[in-house]
Amino acid sequence: MKAIEVKNLSYAYPNGTKALEEVSLEVEEGETVAIVGPNGAGKTTLLLNLTGILKPKKGKIELFGGDITQMSNIDISKNVGIVFQDPDDQLFMPTVFDDVAFGPMNLGYSKEEVKERVKRALTSLSLVGYEEKCPHCLSYGEKKKVSLATVLSMQPKVLLLDEPTANLDPRSRAELIKLIKKLKGEVTIVIATHDVNAIPEIADRVYVLNKKIIAKGRPREIFMNFDLLRKNGLDAPEIMKLFYVLECFGYDCDELPLSIDEAIQELTRVVETRDGHIHLHIHEHTHKNMEKLRKLDHHD
Amino acid sequence: MERPHEIDRYIELASPFHSFDPRAKIVSFLFLILSIVLLRDLKLCFVGFFIALLFLFFSKVPLRFFISYMRWIFPFVSLFVVIMPFTVEGKEIFSLYNLKFTYEGLKYGTIIALRATSAAILVFVVVSTTRFADIMKALYELKVPNLLIQMLMFSHRYVFVLQEEAQKMLIAMRSRGFDIGTNLYSLRNLGRAIGMLFIRSYERADRVYHAMRARGYGGKPEVLTEFTMRAKDWALSLFIFTISISLHTLVVP
Repeated sequence: MKAIEVKNLSYAYPNGTKALEEVSLEVEEGETVAIVGPNGAGKTTLLLNLTGILKPKKGKIELFGGDITQMSNIDISKNVGIVFQDPDDQLFMPTVFDDVAFGPMNLGYSKEEVKERVKRALTSLSLVGYEEKCPHCLSYGEKKKVSLATVLSMQPKVLLLDEPTANLDPRSRAELIKLIKKLKGEVTIVIATHDVNAIPEIADRVYVLNKKIIAKGRPREIFMNFDLLRKNGLDAPEIMKLFYVLECFGYDCDELPLSIDEAIQELTRVVETRDGHIHLHIHEHTHKNMEKLRKLDHHD
Repeated sequence: MERPHEIDRYIELASPFHSFDPRAKIVSFLFLILSIVLLRDLKLCFVGFFIALLFLFFSKVPLRFFISYMRWIFPFVSLFVVIMPFTVEGKEIFSLYNLKFTYEGLKYGTIIALRATSAAILVFVVVSTTRFADIMKALYELKVPNLLIQMLMFSHRYVFVLQEEAQKMLIAMRSRGFDIGTNLYSLRNLGRAIGMLFIRSYERADRVYHAMRARGYGGKPEVLTEFTMRAKDWALSLFIFTISISLHTLVVP
């Protein structure tokens, strides 16, 4: 079943700036989809439209087959949860507990149910013991995790994440990616992100958005298209670029690995099928292919 | 980034007021404050002031912390003692450039100052012995209009964010060679920065509202509270009510 179906959605801000033009996309239930695009491409605007907070100028949005404009705010909140980029926007109650309880309380659950949900959400993010802390006393990474908890406690079927890994230190980033991987499959996830290195690990499919949908496909299809990435101010995962360089120098590889895990698989395969021998050489396309990568790296 | 949550700094102490049920605490303290500010007799005002000080003592909140808050109130209160004697007619004590300094004026000024200070001390005791979140919850339980509670809550939450933003802005200005002076140039730039701060807060308010809507906010958020009145809460309330009433019924010798 389709969790989200967007048909020809157009949106303009009150001052007339066009943010989205004829955007169509589909997300299957249980799928994890990444939306990439440069700053100001309309990623956040798209997510806000999916929560019914912004109303589309034109086009239609369906959640699990139902028209979003016909649903009440509570109905939408039960289905879709959004985590905003800035945790200071997301956390507004005096304590972590109250913030995580805010959503379930609004949905009208009983006291016991609310407490149970808060406990479950905090436990799943290893935030037990943070209940009485005040949001502004937390570190940025902790705030980000609590933000996620405030939405998980509502147990939405669809999770929208706006730049979940932006501005985080490496450990917090790794932790957050691990959490998303844990949620993957249990809920439908839509992630707006610039973090191309994280996408292969978490996303099943990628949409490239730049006011319009420029391209869609599996991560590998998108990342192999250097021309598309360059035109839209994007980048490919570092691991993939490294293996691309190796390929330019004669390394034989069917599919470029996109993540560390895939690189390990690829190299294991080399050990098993070719006794671990890699023969590198400069061939006629070496320089031409390297030039493509250079162009992507320098965006000129 | 770990900043002490200023007014909540001493809520972990153990005193009869710390463990007092927040709802009962707010109601009984308000009653006591009302009783003290309605006193008309100077001696009774001193008694009220003394009671407030005793309450402060029993709250175990450090005196230095108390003074750091009171110094904001002191200038306003002391104004009464200084100005009133010159404006109220009565028995002259001395005169200054044709202005009479009267006994009655001094008396009324002192009464007002004592009432105001006692009220401020008692409010301080309530606020410094109760977690901010619990005060909000207690107000919610006491059926204070939801809108008012939300305003208080958001002010408290975002004043820190705003403060941080203002600080960042000031540092950014300083790092590019800006010095705060009393000249027009520096005032103009400060004005611009403050204007930017307003715009930023306006935009943040928009985003916060979106975040609230997305979590089912419909104007009247329910709050989960877990207060229970025990025997000692009833006893302490009764005690404070008795003091409040006695202040008005006891005959002054």
